Amino acid sequence: MQRPRPSLRSAALALLVPLALAACWAREPGQPSGDAIVLNLPIRAAGPGSLDPVRGSTTYDNEACSLVYETLLQYKYLSRPLALEPLLLTEMPAVTEDGLTWRFELRDDVHFQTDACFESPENLEGKGRRMVAEDVIYSWKRLADKSIDTKSWWLVENTIKGFDAWRDERCALQDAAQDEDFDFYASDVPGLRVTGEFTFEVELTEPVSRFAYVLAMFQLSVVPREAVEFYGERFPRHPVGSGPFVLTKWRNSLSLTFDRNPDYHPDYYPTEWTEEDEERGLHLDAGKRLPLADRVVFRCYVQDQPMWLDFRSGVLDYAQIPAENFVDAIDKRTQTLRPEYAEDGLTYHPVPLLDFIFRGFNCDAKTSEYLGGYTDSARKLRQAISLATDFEEFNETFYNGQNIVYDGMIPPGLAGHPEGHRTPAAYTGPDLDRARRLLAEAGYPEGKGLPVLDYYISQSANSQEQSEMTRRQLAAIGIKINPILLEFAQLIDAIDKRTAPMFSFAWGSDYPDGENNLALFYGPNQSPGSNHYNYENAEYDRLYERIRTMLPSPERDALYEQMRDMVLEDAAFIGSMARTRNYLGTSRLRNFKPTEDFWNWPKYLTLETPAGPAD
Amino acid sequence: MWTFILRRLLYNVPVYLGILALLMGALRVNDPISGKLGKNPDPSDYLALEQRYGLDQPFAVQYVKLLGDVVTLDFTDVESWTNDGLFVGEMLAESIVPSLAITVPALCLTSVLAISIAIISAFFRGRPVDKTLMVLAVVGMSVSFLVYVIFGQYWFAYLLGRGSGLSYFAIGGYESGLANWPYYCLLPVLISTFVAMGYDTRFYRAVMVEESGRDYITTAKAKGATKTKIMFVHMLKNAMIPIITRIMTTLPFLVMGSLLLEVYFNIPGMGRVLYKAIQEQDFPVVQTFVAIFAALFILSNILTDVLYALVDPRVRLS
Repeated sequence: MQRPRPSLRSAALALLVPLALAACWAREPGQPSGDAIVLNLPIRAAGPGSLDPVRGSTTYDNEACSLVYETLLQYKYLSRPLALEPLLLTEMPAVTEDGLTWRFELRDDVHFQTDACFESPENLEGKGRRMVAEDVIYSWKRLADKSIDTKSWWLVENTIKGFDAWRDERCALQDAAQDEDFDFYASDVPGLRVTGEFTFEVELTEPVSRFAYVLAMFQLSVVPREAVEFYGERFPRHPVGSGPFVLTKWRNSLSLTFDRNPDYHPDYYPTEWTEEDEERGLHLDAGKRLPLADRVVFRCYVQDQPMWLDFRSGVLDYAQIPAENFVDAIDKRTQTLRPEYAEDGLTYHPVPLLDFIFRGFNCDAKTSEYLGGYTDSARKLRQAISLATDFEEFNETFYNGQNIVYDGMIPPGLAGHPEGHRTPAAYTGPDLDRARRLLAEAGYPEGKGLPVLDYYISQSANSQEQSEMTRRQLAAIGIKINPILLEFAQLIDAIDKRTAPMFSFAWGSDYPDGENNLALFYGPNQSPGSNHYNYENAEYDRLYERIRTMLPSPERDALYEQMRDMVLEDAAFIGSMARTRNYLGTSRLRNFKPTEDFWNWPKYLTLETPAGPAD
Repeated sequence: MWTFILRRLLYNVPVYLGILALLMGALRVNDPISGKLGKNPDPSDYLALEQRYGLDQPFAVQYVKLLGDVVTLDFTDVESWTNDGLFVGEMLAESIVPSLAITVPALCLTSVLAISIAIISAFFRGRPVDKTLMVLAVVGMSVSFLVYVIFGQYWFAYLLGRGSGLSYFAIGGYESGLANWPYYCLLPVLISTFVAMGYDTRFYRAVMVEESGRDYITTAKAKGATKTKIMFVHMLKNAMIPIITRIMTTLPFLVMGSLLLEVYFNIPGMGRVLYKAIQEQDFPVVQTFVAIFAALFILSNILTDVLYALVDPRVRLS
């Protein structure tokens, strides 16, 4: 008997059966969402850690909290440079002439969202109550409460009159009481005064200009006490705010779903825009009531590939271009979208970040033998190293030429940043002749007599290659370095203990004011504080104490520049660079003007046609 | 048999108690509170956190608490340090099913396919079929798992069906329910199976080949048993000990999921949760997950011994 031979037909059948089976479960990328406008937005992490504003600290916490909670002030969505405007206030706070007392008036039409925490026999639906001045004071007092592991006390520390002492006293009483009934919030802070149902005033310890920016930070969002007490330890998972959206579903490490808050107070799309905004169609929804979308779904991605593929499949409405996909999507020469991407109707949005990426020196002579101190030799050695370093080469090689290379410590877009990114005060490389000359004047002609310098760098994807480039650039003038690659925590430790004479580091501004970066060189902030360079200059410190209390003005800008140039002359660091984050938006996404300086902008976004997954 | 099982259980109790003590000691070598608060924490912050998480208690008290939690499988009062408001019990409950949805089918499929191919390979030992299968197995296991994951996701989840507007496999995500399983889980399962098959096939073939040289096979041949009967009745049964060992040693790992697959396919499984917890120094999550893993490992060892005894009664006598 002859066995049947496998025929072409059976082979085709073998292929078709799985395909037919697969067709049974196949679906369109994303489920149809009906007429609802559903935004699908990425979070490049496993998700936020906390939706309690005072316990949040990361960008992801900020992204999620900013949908549910609101602050007194917000940034104008379309304005660049950034400008503040009232959100929960009727108008910008009134500041007394001495700059010490700030008076606030809350809007009287803001209600918290409907939630079980408000339920009572008289309020079976749990309708959210109206927000009053006491809510603001309570929310800010929470920053001081150690029992809830707050991460943001530093925002108001040494800022509000009597607040620090109040905190110490209340915490001591709380520790002593060991009693669950102890009311941490029972007494008043001298500098926080409620003057009416919707009015209050804040007295500062000194006229600190950054306070206005602090008022727009998500950690100072207003929360209702009922929710905090009702949910207890679970409150970070059950946010109850007054924002444009309410959290309806949180799938750990996977997604967060926010639905439109039906009780959201009147809030409208901006009516001021630039010509560039108009060209991009950002003016079309002017005056419309916010939020424009019905639902926002944050999808969490630990890896870039799935995020990118989801974006290319149309699941996501925008995405940041991962580094490995940059050259596929963007023509490096023209810095425009490649044709195949442009044909899909995608829009390209490069967003400069408030970054300060640099190489630092430990300027403390006691712990840094050759590079530390302010002798002619030490200063000239640092200047020579700075002149031998070519940041543009780093930018081209490791960042696709996307970064902005600039002089100083103040990022682009802020007062104090040098015009055209350059200042004559800087020892900008590469200028090898001058570098060699300064090195010789420092007492090390062609590097002779100078030992191998330890260079500390954090381990990352290309840190080995970056340190090799640094080694080569410095070898050109005869300086030898020994790159030491460490985990980030170890690097911080080495810097804090002043054992790293030269190190690679970065700083992201907490708020859009150059004062934040100038504070990095303020003497009292030396390691283990944020002055990692252990920079010491009495004149600089005096100027810093002055600018800290000044409101924005040309005079203050001039002082910023003067201080910047003082540090550049001492060459406490080499640099700098600011990264650019590259966003792509789909053709159906409207009003897209991304920024990473604030995160409540999904309320302005909408879609041309409702599409995308509903959940 | 029950005496045998009881004896095994009793032998392993002190082992597990020792493991728990070691685990707790190891996780406390570097002070977890300092790890959370950073260097130079405010002493009052330190004390507050220490009290809140029960780390101010004596080691023995903490030990008994952890042991009690593991024995009762009640982790509802163990709070995550990095996911505020989330408790380890919930994290376990949420992540264990997605992990098992990938690993259990993958193990079953891999074992069936690898054993079948190994038998075929051993059956045709030295012939082109055997050589081709082994070359494929070596090639399969020589390529990195990550490559399979990245290319599998790109080709099958992204490109396949792109023109038709249909998606056959999800690029990422997870939905519970049998109807959703093929869309979200089948591709990761197939990738996992494909990768594991190379190793397993070679191993099982070696076992089969070794068995084929035994005296009882010669006896069976002499008695006129067919080649099929020899392979499936005599040889396979006697090769079960190493097969069981291999399968059983992988059982605890099933619960811990597959990190790469979970990360790339956005599956909220235990591997991903544990990896994130280690990265973020989420002390209670790491401690609980490792304690559970150790318990499962010991239980699977006991189960392996029991299965040995079932398959080969001589094990019980020894």
